[in-house]
Amino acid sequence: MNPTSPTGWTHWPLRISATATAVLLLDQAVYAGQFLSGSFAALHTHRENATFAGLAVLATGACAVLLRWPGRGPLWPMFACLAQFALIGLQIGLGFARVLTLHVPLGVGIILGWIHLTVWAWRHRPAPASPAPEPAATGAVPS
Amino acid sequence: MTLDRRRFLRALGGLGVAAGVGVPLLSGVRGSASTGELLASRRPLPRPFTTRFRVPPVLVPTRSDADGDHYDIVQRPAIVEILPGVRTPIWGYNGRFPGPTIRSTSGRPVIVTHRNELPVPVVVHLHGGHTPPDHDGFPTDLLQPAGRTGSSRDYVYPLRQPAATLWYHDHRMDFTGPSVWRGLAGFHLVTDPHEQSLGLPSGDRDLPVMITDRSFDADGRLHYPSLDPTLRTPGVREPYGSGVLGDVVLVNGVPWPVAEIPAARHRLRLLNASNARRYRLVLDPPPPGGPALIQIGTDGGLLDQPVAHDAVELAPAQRFDVVVDFGRYRPGQQVDLRNEFGDRTTAAVMRFRITQAADDNSRIPDRLTGTPAPAPPVITRDLHFRHGTVHGMPGWTINGEPFHPDRSIADPRLGSTEIWRLSSDFHHPIHLHQASFRILGRGIGGPGPYDHGPKDTIDLRPAEQASILVTFDDYPGRYVLHCHNLEHEDMAMMGAFTITR
Repeated sequence: MNPTSPTGWTHWPLRISATATAVLLLDQAVYAGQFLSGSFAALHTHRENATFAGLAVLATGACAVLLRWPGRGPLWPMFACLAQFALIGLQIGLGFARVLTLHVPLGVGIILGWIHLTVWAWRHRPAPASPAPEPAATGAVPS
Repeated sequence: MTLDRRRFLRALGGLGVAAGVGVPLLSGVRGSASTGELLASRRPLPRPFTTRFRVPPVLVPTRSDADGDHYDIVQRPAIVEILPGVRTPIWGYNGRFPGPTIRSTSGRPVIVTHRNELPVPVVVHLHGGHTPPDHDGFPTDLLQPAGRTGSSRDYVYPLRQPAATLWYHDHRMDFTGPSVWRGLAGFHLVTDPHEQSLGLPSGDRDLPVMITDRSFDADGRLHYPSLDPTLRTPGVREPYGSGVLGDVVLVNGVPWPVAEIPAARHRLRLLNASNARRYRLVLDPPPPGGPALIQIGTDGGLLDQPVAHDAVELAPAQRFDVVVDFGRYRPGQQVDLRNEFGDRTTAAVMRFRITQAADDNSRIPDRLTGTPAPAPPVITRDLHFRHGTVHGMPGWTINGEPFHPDRSIADPRLGSTEIWRLSSDFHHPIHLHQASFRILGRGIGGPGPYDHGPKDTIDLRPAEQASILVTFDDYPGRYVLHCHNLEHEDMAMMGAFTITR
């Protein structure tokens, strides 16, 4: 990684934040399973963790901005995060309203979408900063 | 970045994800056998199996006449020794916990005169009794404290029902949990000539076994998380709204007792009188050569045929009458009744110590009773038992509504049969007053292994649907159905229903 390169580090915040968010989202399924097995406290945890997961999605959106500026990467990950945030808002509303016919499939969809984004973040290689990168930077752009 | 560093970071990230999902997953993977929170005792507890098993005394009628057998019970505070050497204040029927046992015969009316010398109003419900509505213990039919008018009344029980293990307990609206916790519960055993003719173990080989969990405060008092310890304002402090679980298992009011019994068949009338705790009971060691527990009866009386179990699961308020052949053990052997749903102190229940060989002419007939086929169901109703908001507070609801004494949620006709489909979010032992039912199925399957026979309480598990076939016999009038997790009941998971002519 070369801190002087505008593209050398900008994908890392997204990777880390998306991964941490994926953990929180997967934990939602874990807590749901537990209160469906009779553990009342897990319902409370499920509710609290939904808020944290929503905030983590927003934070990941901020990281996705860095990918574009200064990273010159694509902008769609930021929009993807905003869309996920909106879906999570809807998901929380459906959960409180106990519309489980939609809450459960939407939860599966949110997790699938997020894993897709996270895998992309890890696979994404920033484009070289200039047509002729400095020799020092080549090590930071593995093939 | 070098390849090694990248690999290391990836491995670290993978480990973080695995831990972030895996730790909560594994820590809660067993779910919960009971919905509730453990309220730990604040004092050292005795070692299990150091106190003697005892059977509650049988109450003697004050008189018997053409009207039936008359009994007097005074509900009063008392100080008793539950933990060895510790004085514990209780509320008791005749100052005892459990209350005295009433033994009666089908069809012979019982009139119990209750006098209330407790500081709060009470309501007496004969659980499993087929009782006219004025005597069933509707949650707002209060028996006022002494000194006020209405501090004494007769409860008349016609008992036109088959032999069964019933129990009586407090049922005051919003306060059943703390009142039963303090001791207001007792057995009422009904027999009939048919049951007597079967040759089942009887006399001192017919043992009522009331299982309750309790917690004790540092000063020896029973520990309960009431918001108002004087029991005038309802509610428990959080997180106990999901149910209160104790860490001491009492059998007939004795912690983890030892019963000395001869090597012969015994009838155990297992009653789970706990507020919220479920039990899965097994014998340890199991007897050689087959199932330990032969179930002969349940809530509403005898099964058609005996059913053999290695274990039985009891939700709050359920009864399982089982016969155990202790003749399969050798004298001197110790046999523990264990709770496989328990954890640490609640895994032990009681111990049997086999004294000597004994004559045994009891038997378990292959056919115990016959049940007439119920009338075809006329209607199907859906009832959803869920957590919800009750007057702006977290509570428990039926079809989204909290209990209201004046609102009937079903109006079945007298003599009719209905199918009720029940669904749950957490563990909800659902109890119907007056009506007796059979469990038709759970989910997309048939009845479970513990669903045999006539029931008044079903062990509805989390996120489960069950269908029951209910017959509304005997008396028209207003009754209640409710969750028998007593904290759920007190926090509004109850509904009135009216049997109409």
